[in-house]
Amino acid sequence: MDEFGSQWMQRWQSRVNADGVMKNVGRYFDENVLLDFGDGNAYVVEFRGGRVERLVDKIGPEDRYHLALRAPKASWQKFVQRVPPPMYNDIWAMAHPLHGRLKIEGDVKVMWQNARAFTWALALMREVAH
Amino acid sequence: MAKIEPIVGRYVHIDYEGKDYRIYFEEAGQGIPLVCLHTAGTDGREWRHQLCDPDITKHFRVVAFDLPRHGKSIPPAGWWKESEEYKLTSKFYADFVMAFCRALGLDRAVVMGSSMGGNICLPLALDHSDELRALIAIEACEYSPGWWLSWLSHPHIHGGEVCATSVYGLMAPQSPDEYRWETWWYYSQGGPGIFKGDLYFYSVDHDFRGKCQTIQGKIPTYFITGEYDFACTPEMTQETAAKVKNSEAIIMKGNGHFPMSENPQNFKQYLMPVLEKIRARG
Repeated sequence: MDEFGSQWMQRWQSRVNADGVMKNVGRYFDENVLLDFGDGNAYVVEFRGGRVERLVDKIGPEDRYHLALRAPKASWQKFVQRVPPPMYNDIWAMAHPLHGRLKIEGDVKVMWQNARAFTWALALMREVAH
Repeated sequence: MAKIEPIVGRYVHIDYEGKDYRIYFEEAGQGIPLVCLHTAGTDGREWRHQLCDPDITKHFRVVAFDLPRHGKSIPPAGWWKESEEYKLTSKFYADFVMAFCRALGLDRAVVMGSSMGGNICLPLALDHSDELRALIAIEACEYSPGWWLSWLSHPHIHGGEVCATSVYGLMAPQSPDEYRWETWWYYSQGGPGIFKGDLYFYSVDHDFRGKCQTIQGKIPTYFITGEYDFACTPEMTQETAAKVKNSEAIIMKGNGHFPMSENPQNFKQYLMPVLEKIRARG
Protein backbone atom coordinates (compact mmCIF):
# COMPACT_ATOMS: atom_id res chain seq x y z
CA MET A 1 0.00 0.00 0.00
CA ASP A 2 1.30 3.42 -0.98
CA GLU A 3 2.46 5.17 2.18
CA PHE A 4 0.54 8.45 2.55
CA GLY A 5 -1.60 7.59 -0.48
CA SER A 6 -5.41 7.75 -0.39
CA GLN A 7 -5.93 4.16 0.73
CA TRP A 8 -3.34 4.54 3.46
CA MET A 9 -5.06 7.69 4.69
CA GLN A 10 -8.42 5.96 4.69
CA ARG A 11 -6.96 3.25 6.91
CA TRP A 12 -5.69 5.96 9.24
CA GLN A 13 -9.15 7.58 9.23
CA SER A 14 -10.73 4.26 10.21
CA ARG A 15 -8.17 3.78 12.96
CA VAL A 16 -8.80 7.26 14.39
CA ASN A 17 -12.56 6.80 14.22
CA ALA A 18 -12.35 3.51 16.10
CA ASP A 19 -10.24 5.01 18.87
CA GLY A 20 -11.83 5.53 22.26
CA VAL A 21 -9.23 7.98 23.54
CA MET A 22 -9.68 10.19 20.48
CA LYS A 23 -13.42 10.16 21.04
CA ASN A 24 -12.76 11.43 24.56
CA VAL A 25 -9.95 13.96 24.18
CA GLY A 26 -10.97 15.17 20.71
CA ARG A 27 -14.62 15.84 21.34
CA TYR A 28 -14.20 19.60 20.81
CA PHE A 29 -11.61 19.32 18.04
CA ASP A 30 -13.61 20.73 15.13
CA GLU A 31 -11.09 22.01 12.62
CA ASN A 32 -9.95 21.45 9.06
CA VAL A 33 -6.24 20.75 8.78
CA LEU A 34 -4.11 20.34 5.69
CA LEU A 35 -1.51 17.57 5.90
CA ASP A 36 1.12 17.76 3.18
CA PHE A 37 3.32 14.67 3.03
CA GLY A 38 5.35 15.80 0.02
CA ASP A 39 5.55 14.02 -3.35
CA GLY A 40 2.06 15.23 -4.22
CA ASN A 41 0.30 13.64 -1.27
CA ALA A 42 -1.73 16.33 0.50
CA TYR A 43 -5.12 16.15 2.21
CA VAL A 44 -7.58 18.37 3.96
CA VAL A 45 -8.58 16.45 7.07
CA GLU A 46 -11.89 17.43 8.65
CA PHE A 47 -11.80 16.67 12.37
CA ARG A 48 -15.23 16.72 14.01
CA GLY A 49 -16.14 15.62 17.53
CA GLY A 50 -13.25 13.22 17.99
CA ARG A 51 -13.49 11.76 14.50
CA VAL A 52 -12.01 12.33 11.09
CA GLU A 53 -15.29 13.19 9.41
CA ARG A 54 -13.90 13.60 5.89
CA LEU A 55 -10.67 13.34 3.93
CA VAL A 56 -10.26 15.52 0.87
CA ASP A 57 -7.54 14.22 -1.43
CA LYS A 58 -8.28 16.35 -4.48
CA ILE A 59 -8.03 19.77 -2.93
CA GLY A 60 -10.10 22.28 -4.87
CA PRO A 61 -10.92 26.00 -4.71
CA GLU A 62 -13.66 25.48 -2.15
CA ASP A 63 -11.69 23.43 0.36
CA ARG A 64 -10.92 25.48 3.46
CA TYR A 65 -8.48 24.85 6.27
CA HIS A 66 -7.09 26.87 9.17
CA LEU A 67 -3.87 25.04 9.69
CA ALA A 68 -1.34 23.29 7.47
CA LEU A 69 1.46 20.89 8.33
CA ARG A 70 4.02 20.40 5.59
CA ALA A 71 7.11 18.22 5.60
CA PRO A 72 9.05 16.17 3.07
CA LYS A 73 8.05 12.52 2.73
CA ALA A 74 11.35 11.43 4.27
CA SER A 75 10.49 13.28 7.50
CA TRP A 76 6.98 11.83 7.71
CA GLN A 77 8.37 8.34 7.06
CA LYS A 78 10.53 8.71 10.16
CA PHE A 79 7.63 10.13 12.16
CA VAL A 80 5.41 7.12 11.43
CA GLN A 81 8.00 4.47 12.34
CA ARG A 82 6.87 2.30 15.22
CA VAL A 83 9.82 3.63 17.23
CA PRO A 84 10.59 6.95 15.57
CA PRO A 85 14.19 8.18 15.75
CA PRO A 86 15.23 11.17 17.89
CA MET A 87 13.99 14.55 16.63
CA TYR A 88 11.23 12.86 14.56
CA ASN A 89 8.96 11.46 17.28
CA ASP A 90 6.69 14.50 17.60
CA ILE A 91 5.39 17.26 15.33
CA TRP A 92 6.59 20.01 17.71
CA ALA A 93 9.99 18.33 17.83
CA MET A 94 10.10 18.41 14.03
CA ALA A 95 8.77 21.96 13.84
CA HIS A 96 10.82 23.51 16.65
CA PRO A 97 12.95 26.43 15.42
CA LEU A 98 16.13 24.48 16.25
CA HIS A 99 15.17 21.78 13.76
CA GLY A 100 12.70 22.99 11.10
CA ARG A 101 11.94 19.56 9.66
CA LEU A 102 8.21 20.33 9.48
CA LYS A 103 6.42 23.60 8.79
CA ILE A 104 3.30 24.62 10.65
CA GLU A 105 1.45 27.27 8.68
CA GLY A 106 -1.78 29.20 9.08
CA ASP A 107 -3.50 29.74 12.42
CA VAL A 108 -0.92 28.14 14.70
CA LYS A 109 -3.19 28.78 17.67
CA VAL A 110 -5.51 26.06 16.39
CA MET A 111 -2.72 23.53 16.79
CA TRP A 112 -1.93 24.52 20.35
CA GLN A 113 -5.61 24.63 21.31
CA ASN A 114 -6.07 21.08 20.11
CA ALA A 115 -2.56 19.79 20.69
CA ARG A 116 -3.53 16.81 22.81
CA ALA A 117 -6.12 15.41 20.42
CA PHE A 118 -4.17 16.34 17.31
CA THR A 119 -0.92 14.71 18.40
CA TRP A 120 -2.83 11.64 19.59
CA ALA A 121 -4.52 11.28 16.19
CA LEU A 122 -1.27 11.72 14.28
CA ALA A 123 0.50 9.17 16.48
CA LEU A 124 -2.09 6.60 15.35
CA MET A 125 -0.45 6.76 11.92
CA ARG A 126 2.24 4.52 13.43
CA GLU A 127 -0.31 1.73 13.70
CA VAL A 128 -1.38 2.16 10.08
CA ALA A 129 2.19 2.12 8.84
CA HIS A 130 2.86 -1.26 10.42
CA MET B 1 1.28 -4.18 55.99
CA ALA B 2 0.66 -1.25 53.70
CA LYS B 3 3.45 -0.10 51.43
CA ILE B 4 4.66 3.23 52.79
CA GLU B 5 7.36 5.12 50.94
CA PRO B 6 10.36 6.54 52.82
CA ILE B 7 9.77 10.09 51.52
CA VAL B 8 9.13 12.73 54.18
CA GLY B 9 7.69 16.12 53.20
CA ARG B 10 8.12 19.34 55.21
CA TYR B 11 8.00 23.11 54.82
CA VAL B 12 10.79 25.63 55.39
CA HIS B 13 10.38 29.41 55.41
CA ILE B 14 12.98 31.30 53.40
CA ASP B 15 13.33 35.05 53.51
CA TYR B 16 14.47 36.46 50.18
CA GLU B 17 14.61 40.18 49.41
CA GLY B 18 12.18 40.96 52.20
CA LYS B 19 9.57 38.38 51.20
CA ASP B 20 8.64 35.26 53.10
CA TYR B 21 8.59 32.14 50.94
CA ARG B 22 6.97 29.00 52.33
CA ILE B 23 8.86 26.23 50.56
CA TYR B 24 7.87 22.59 50.38
CA PHE B 25 10.56 19.94 50.20
CA GLU B 26 10.71 16.17 50.31
CA GLU B 27 13.66 14.15 51.49
CA ALA B 28 14.91 10.65 52.11
CA GLY B 29 18.23 9.08 52.99
CA GLN B 30 21.37 10.05 54.82
CA GLY B 31 24.82 11.18 53.80
CA ILE B 32 26.01 13.63 51.20
CA PRO B 33 23.30 16.24 50.53
CA LEU B 34 21.88 15.81 47.01
CA VAL B 35 19.57 18.70 46.14
CA CYS B 36 17.27 17.89 43.21
CA LEU B 37 15.82 20.63 41.01
CA HIS B 38 12.64 20.01 39.04
CA THR B 39 12.05 21.08 35.44
CA ALA B 40 10.11 24.15 34.28
CA GLY B 41 6.48 24.48 35.30
CA THR B 42 6.34 21.41 37.49
CA ASP B 43 7.55 20.32 40.93
CA GLY B 44 9.61 17.94 43.01
CA ARG B 45 7.35 14.96 42.40
CA GLU B 46 9.54 14.30 39.35
CA TRP B 47 12.20 12.92 41.73
CA ARG B 48 10.03 10.36 43.51
CA HIS B 49 11.88 7.36 42.10
CA GLN B 50 15.30 8.57 43.22
CA LEU B 51 13.91 9.49 46.65
CA CYS B 52 12.74 5.89 47.02
CA ASP B 53 15.85 4.19 45.68
CA PRO B 54 17.89 2.65 48.53
CA ASP B 55 20.96 2.41 46.29
CA ILE B 56 20.94 6.21 46.25
CA THR B 57 19.59 7.04 49.70
CA LYS B 58 22.01 4.82 51.60
CA HIS B 59 24.81 7.27 50.78
CA PHE B 60 22.96 10.48 49.92
CA ARG B 61 20.46 12.70 51.70
CA VAL B 62 18.20 13.32 48.70
CA VAL B 63 16.25 16.57 48.97
CA ALA B 64 13.80 17.79 46.33
CA PHE B 65 12.13 21.16 46.82
CA ASP B 66 9.43 22.99 44.94
CA LEU B 67 10.49 26.41 43.69
CA PRO B 68 8.24 29.31 44.69
CA ARG B 69 4.93 29.18 42.72
CA HIS B 70 5.45 25.47 41.96
CA GLY B 71 3.86 22.40 43.53
CA LYS B 72 3.15 23.02 47.20
CA SER B 73 5.33 26.16 47.43
CA ILE B 74 2.72 28.89 47.24
CA PRO B 75 3.59 32.22 45.63
CA PRO B 76 4.66 35.04 47.97
CA ALA B 77 1.77 37.11 49.33
CA GLY B 78 0.65 39.83 46.95
CA TRP B 79 1.20 37.81 43.78
CA TRP B 80 -2.33 38.63 42.63
CA LYS B 81 -1.43 42.34 42.46
CA GLU B 82 1.60 41.90 40.23
CA SER B 83 1.46 44.13 37.14
CA GLU B 84 3.88 42.05 35.09
CA GLU B 85 3.72 38.41 34.13
CA TYR B 86 5.90 35.98 36.05
CA LYS B 87 9.41 35.58 34.63
CA LEU B 88 12.03 33.45 36.32
CA THR B 89 15.49 35.00 36.15
CA SER B 90 18.87 33.37 36.44
CA LYS B 91 19.75 35.56 39.42
CA PHE B 92 16.63 34.71 41.43
CA TYR B 93 16.91 31.02 40.59
CA ALA B 94 20.59 30.66 41.54
CA ASP B 95 20.17 32.80 44.65
CA PHE B 96 17.16 30.79 45.75
CA VAL B 97 18.84 27.41 45.33
CA MET B 98 21.69 28.62 47.51
CA ALA B 99 19.30 30.18 50.04
CA PHE B 100 17.52 26.83 50.31
CA CYS B 101 20.79 24.98 50.88
CA ARG B 102 21.78 27.45 53.60
CA ALA B 103 18.35 27.34 55.24
CA LEU B 104 18.63 23.57 55.61
CA GLY B 105 22.26 23.76 56.64
CA LEU B 106 23.34 21.49 53.79
CA ASP B 107 27.11 21.26 53.80
CA ARG B 108 28.66 21.37 50.34
CA ALA B 109 25.64 19.90 48.62
CA VAL B 110 25.59 18.21 45.26
CA VAL B 111 23.05 20.00 43.05
CA MET B 112 21.31 17.87 40.44
CA GLY B 113 18.77 19.47 38.14
CA SER B 114 17.10 18.73 34.86
CA SER B 115 16.25 21.06 31.99
CA MET B 116 16.08 24.52 33.57
CA GLY B 117 17.45 22.81 36.69
CA GLY B 118 20.33 21.64 34.52
CA ASN B 119 20.91 25.02 32.93
CA ILE B 120 21.09 26.74 36.33
CA CYS B 121 24.06 24.50 37.14
CA LEU B 122 26.18 26.72 34.89
CA PRO B 123 25.64 29.91 36.95
CA LEU B 124 26.04 27.80 40.11
CA ALA B 125 29.35 26.46 38.83
CA LEU B 126 30.50 29.97 38.01
CA ASP B 127 29.44 31.77 41.20
CA HIS B 128 28.92 29.24 43.99
CA SER B 129 31.56 26.51 43.59
CA ASP B 130 32.96 27.26 47.04
CA GLU B 131 29.72 26.22 48.71
CA LEU B 132 28.97 23.15 46.59
CA ARG B 133 30.51 19.70 46.08
CA ALA B 134 29.52 18.80 42.51
CA LEU B 135 26.90 19.55 39.87
CA ILE B 136 24.85 17.08 37.85
CA ALA B 137 23.44 19.08 34.95
CA ILE B 138 20.80 17.01 33.18
CA GLU B 139 19.54 18.10 29.77
CA ALA B 140 21.67 21.24 30.07
CA CYS B 141 23.49 23.49 27.65
CA GLU B 142 24.72 27.06 27.36
CA TYR B 143 21.70 28.32 25.38
CA SER B 144 18.34 26.66 24.71
CA PRO B 145 16.15 28.98 22.61
CA GLY B 146 12.66 28.61 21.20
CA TRP B 147 10.44 27.87 24.19
CA TRP B 148 9.24 31.23 25.52
CA LEU B 149 5.87 31.00 23.75
CA SER B 150 2.67 32.97 24.34
CA TRP B 151 0.55 29.89 23.61
CA LEU B 152 1.63 28.40 26.93
CA SER B 153 -0.27 31.10 28.83
CA HIS B 154 -3.13 32.25 26.66
CA PRO B 155 -6.81 32.68 27.55
CA HIS B 156 -7.95 30.85 24.42
CA ILE B 157 -5.98 27.72 25.26
CA HIS B 158 -6.24 25.22 28.11
CA GLY B 159 -3.03 25.90 30.01
CA GLY B 160 -2.63 22.52 31.61
CA GLU B 161 -3.17 20.55 28.43
CA VAL B 162 -1.00 22.73 26.23
CA CYS B 163 1.93 22.85 28.68
CA ALA B 164 1.82 19.10 29.16
CA THR B 165 1.44 18.26 25.48
CA SER B 166 4.18 20.68 24.44
CA VAL B 167 6.70 18.63 26.41
CA TYR B 168 5.36 15.16 25.67
CA GLY B 169 7.51 14.74 22.56
CA LEU B 170 10.63 15.55 24.59
CA MET B 171 10.30 12.07 26.06
CA ALA B 172 11.69 8.97 24.41
CA PRO B 173 9.30 6.45 22.83
CA GLN B 174 11.19 3.75 24.75
CA SER B 175 10.20 5.27 28.11
CA PRO B 176 7.31 3.43 29.77
CA ASP B 177 3.89 4.87 28.92
CA GLU B 178 2.98 4.94 32.59
CA TYR B 179 5.85 7.26 33.47
CA ARG B 180 5.58 9.41 30.36
CA TRP B 181 1.94 10.10 31.13
CA GLU B 182 2.75 10.66 34.79
CA THR B 183 5.17 13.37 33.68
CA TRP B 184 2.45 14.78 31.40
CA TRP B 185 0.16 14.84 34.44
CA TYR B 186 2.62 16.88 36.50
CA TYR B 187 2.87 19.37 33.67
CA SER B 188 -0.87 19.70 33.45
CA GLN B 189 -0.98 20.96 37.03
CA GLY B 190 1.19 24.07 37.00
CA GLY B 191 -0.14 27.48 38.00
CA PRO B 192 -1.22 29.87 35.25
CA GLY B 193 1.75 31.35 33.42
CA ILE B 194 4.31 29.51 35.52
CA PHE B 195 5.63 27.16 32.84
CA LYS B 196 5.91 30.05 30.40
CA GLY B 197 7.59 32.23 33.04
CA ASP B 198 10.12 29.49 33.77
CA LEU B 199 10.82 29.25 30.07
CA TYR B 200 11.78 32.91 30.10
CA PHE B 201 14.75 31.72 32.12
CA TYR B 202 15.23 28.59 30.03
CA SER B 203 15.19 30.24 26.60
CA VAL B 204 15.93 33.93 27.18
CA ASP B 205 17.64 34.88 30.45
CA HIS B 206 19.88 31.82 30.49
CA ASP B 207 22.48 32.63 27.86
CA PHE B 208 25.90 31.31 28.79
CA ARG B 209 27.38 31.71 25.33
CA GLY B 210 30.86 33.11 25.89
CA LYS B 211 30.71 32.45 29.65
CA CYS B 212 31.24 28.67 29.87
CA GLN B 213 34.98 29.10 29.48
CA THR B 214 35.07 31.33 32.58
CA ILE B 215 33.96 28.49 34.88
CA GLN B 216 37.09 27.60 36.83
CA GLY B 217 36.19 23.95 37.38
CA LYS B 218 36.86 23.90 41.11
CA ILE B 219 34.13 21.27 41.40
CA PRO B 220 33.13 18.71 38.77
CA THR B 221 30.14 19.20 36.49
CA TYR B 222 28.55 16.07 35.04
CA PHE B 223 26.33 16.72 32.04
CA ILE B 224 23.81 13.97 31.29
CA THR B 225 21.44 14.26 28.28
CA GLY B 226 18.94 11.92 26.68
CA GLU B 227 19.15 11.21 22.96
CA TYR B 228 15.50 12.20 22.41
CA ASP B 229 15.85 15.69 23.87
CA PHE B 230 15.02 18.04 21.01
CA ALA B 231 15.21 21.17 23.22
CA CYS B 232 18.76 20.47 24.34
CA THR B 233 20.17 17.90 21.96
CA PRO B 234 23.12 15.65 22.80
CA GLU B 235 25.22 17.76 20.46
CA MET B 236 24.28 20.97 22.30
CA THR B 237 25.25 19.38 25.60
CA GLN B 238 28.53 18.05 24.26
CA GLU B 239 29.45 21.43 22.79
CA THR B 240 28.77 23.11 26.14
CA ALA B 241 30.63 20.49 28.17
CA ALA B 242 33.68 20.88 25.92
CA LYS B 243 33.92 24.48 27.13
CA VAL B 244 33.47 23.82 30.87
CA LYS B 245 36.58 22.86 32.81
CA ASN B 246 36.42 19.70 34.95
CA SER B 247 33.28 18.41 33.23
CA GLU B 248 32.16 15.41 31.26
CA ALA B 249 29.21 14.74 28.97
CA ILE B 250 27.20 11.54 29.21
CA ILE B 251 24.56 10.73 26.58
CA MET B 252 21.70 8.40 27.50
CA LYS B 253 20.33 6.02 24.87
CA GLY B 254 16.58 5.50 24.96
CA ASN B 255 15.85 8.42 27.26
CA GLY B 256 14.62 11.96 26.87
CA HIS B 257 14.32 15.32 28.58
CA PHE B 258 12.87 14.01 31.89
CA PRO B 259 15.01 10.95 32.62
CA MET B 260 14.31 10.89 36.37
CA SER B 261 10.56 10.69 35.87
CA GLU B 262 10.04 9.28 32.35
CA ASN B 263 12.48 6.38 32.59
CA PRO B 264 14.06 6.15 36.05
CA GLN B 265 15.52 2.67 35.51
CA ASN B 266 17.34 3.72 32.36
CA PHE B 267 18.49 6.93 34.10
CA LYS B 268 19.85 5.01 37.05
CA GLN B 269 22.44 3.17 34.99
CA TYR B 270 23.91 6.53 33.97
CA LEU B 271 23.48 8.28 37.32
CA MET B 272 25.00 5.68 39.64
CA PRO B 273 28.55 5.86 38.23
CA VAL B 274 28.39 9.65 38.62
CA LEU B 275 27.28 9.35 42.24
CA GLU B 276 30.06 6.83 42.86
CA LYS B 277 32.62 9.28 41.50
CA ILE B 278 31.26 12.03 43.75
CA ARG B 279 31.44 9.75 46.79
CA ALA B 280 35.00 8.74 45.92
CA ARG B 281 36.01 12.40 45.80
CA GLY B 282 34.51 12.97 49.22
